[in-house]
Amino acid sequence: MSHLSDDDLVLHYYGEDGPRIVAAERHLRSCAQCARAYAGLARTLDAVTPPEFVEPADDALAIRQLIRDRLSGQPAPLGVRRWLWDGDVGVVALVWLVPLVYPWSLQTLVSSARWAQEHALFVPLAALTLIWACAGPCVAVFALNRMVADRGARTSTRLLVAGALIAAISPALFLFVSRVSVSLSLNVGLWSWYGAIVMGAVAALFRWPNRFSSSRRFSYVHRISALVLTVFVLGHVVNQALAFISVPAYTSMRGVMRVASHQPVLYVVIVAAVAIQIATGAAMGMKNVRAGAVARNLQAVSGWYLAAFLLIHVFSGLFVSQPQAATTTATAVNQLNLLATPRAAASLPFLLLGVAAFLFHVGVYARLAALAYLAEASVRRLSYAGALVGATVVVTVGLALFGIHLIR
Amino acid sequence: MNDGDVEVFLSLVERHRRYLYNLAFRITGNEHDAKDVVQDSLLNAYLHLEQFEQRADLRTWLNRILVNCALDHLRARRRRPDLHDPQPISDVVDSVVSSSPDPERLAVSADCRRQITEAMNTMSPLERVTFALRHFEGCSIDDIARTVGIGHNSAKQHIFRAVRKIRVVLEAHRSGR
Repeated sequence: MSHLSDDDLVLHYYGEDGPRIVAAERHLRSCAQCARAYAGLARTLDAVTPPEFVEPADDALAIRQLIRDRLSGQPAPLGVRRWLWDGDVGVVALVWLVPLVYPWSLQTLVSSARWAQEHALFVPLAALTLIWACAGPCVAVFALNRMVADRGARTSTRLLVAGALIAAISPALFLFVSRVSVSLSLNVGLWSWYGAIVMGAVAALFRWPNRFSSSRRFSYVHRISALVLTVFVLGHVVNQALAFISVPAYTSMRGVMRVASHQPVLYVVIVAAVAIQIATGAAMGMKNVRAGAVARNLQAVSGWYLAAFLLIHVFSGLFVSQPQAATTTATAVNQLNLLATPRAAASLPFLLLGVAAFLFHVGVYARLAALAYLAEASVRRLSYAGALVGATVVVTVGLALFGIHLIR
Repeated sequence: MNDGDVEVFLSLVERHRRYLYNLAFRITGNEHDAKDVVQDSLLNAYLHLEQFEQRADLRTWLNRILVNCALDHLRARRRRPDLHDPQPISDVVDSVVSSSPDPERLAVSADCRRQITEAMNTMSPLERVTFALRHFEGCSIDDIARTVGIGHNSAKQHIFRAVRKIRVVLEAHRSGR
């Protein structure tokens, strides 16, 4: 038997080495080097004894009051500023404000982009309005980080979660609502959008099922379908980034991908993978969402956006009469500027956030998985490298969608 | 639920409060945080009583809620380092403390205690929780993974990293003495 590693010694100390326990013990008796290392470890860990038993503070009264305050929905007395900041009110208002003002962000984006084309001085303004249009998911992560962990028991928590969801998927939902309005010739303007927001708010008033199952089998199926979808999405992302380098190369690759994805078998596989992703993601979605767990919340919010994005991208042809639905990118490249019209501009945050959500969702999963095998410092370095690559991809795709290409 | 329900609930958890408070203390490292964690967990437990399955053990269920509350608390504390002023974990190195109040030994013990507190504070919330559950509570890695809601390998790696941090501090302290 080869020498025992430090991790093997830790497992042996805690009696967690399973069937290898006998072999490890025999090795420790025969190998002076490992025995010395084990003795050192044991001496150190033996010194870390549990803290002495402490008598609990007599806080039964405080607990009783806490429960009564929560049940009566009355927050503990606080100043107005802290109430808005630490309580739910400010955060709930913020998440609902994002979808309410989302249409204006698009209008401002188009106007500022026109000004930027006329004068370079307005480029930062165009960038700022683009950030505004894409702010929904960031606000959602911020809101979930401040969420009280009551799994939707209170109306304010449900309002917060529903608001965060709608804020996160605003770009996709707005595009979907617009398309449905156009295809049904509703001619109600922005009222269809506000109607969708009101429906979301009404849904938050009813109690949700409070069991969020997340069996290992769900996770396994989610990962397998994600693998299938990643190949398909990666192809799209690479092709979209290719549009920045060369429009002809992009067009050729798009042609090949379109032929491939229109094969009945492949199409069924992709649609099934999307359906499985959304179903299993929804089943697990809220389990890990909690205050302070930034990575988990980022994972959930990027998952929400991806679900909305994929639903619209893949299924739009099935339920919306929208001949351009699958060729938004082609339209963008042919017109060489997605900011040419307000209608095309709605696709810009939708597509950019789709790429960002995919990279975040995969990246955060990879980071959490890597933590199980690598040291934290290595994972942190890899995360920085991954973030740099991801940011480069998003910027490259963004430039292509702005109509900037090295070879036309 | 009415006031009567609250009273019944509190009387039910009363017999576990001492255990919960000490578990929270072992994880968070100070009495003030432990008190907050216990209050939050009992509030959460009451709000989700309908999720408590009858076949489950009340202490195990409360234990799981408390561990997750403690994790949230440690994460929040990490984001607000200015508020983080934990008292040192008391008596973590009882083994080196003599029963007689020998001043030299007491000084060594206090120093060692400070080193352990320091090492514990460098741990990430997950490392701290998994280490406390494994080392102080004697929970198996499988149980820890289930309680915290992470994979078996992930729990194992968090414990390895926590032990490494403890060793770095304590062995440096020992060799410097």
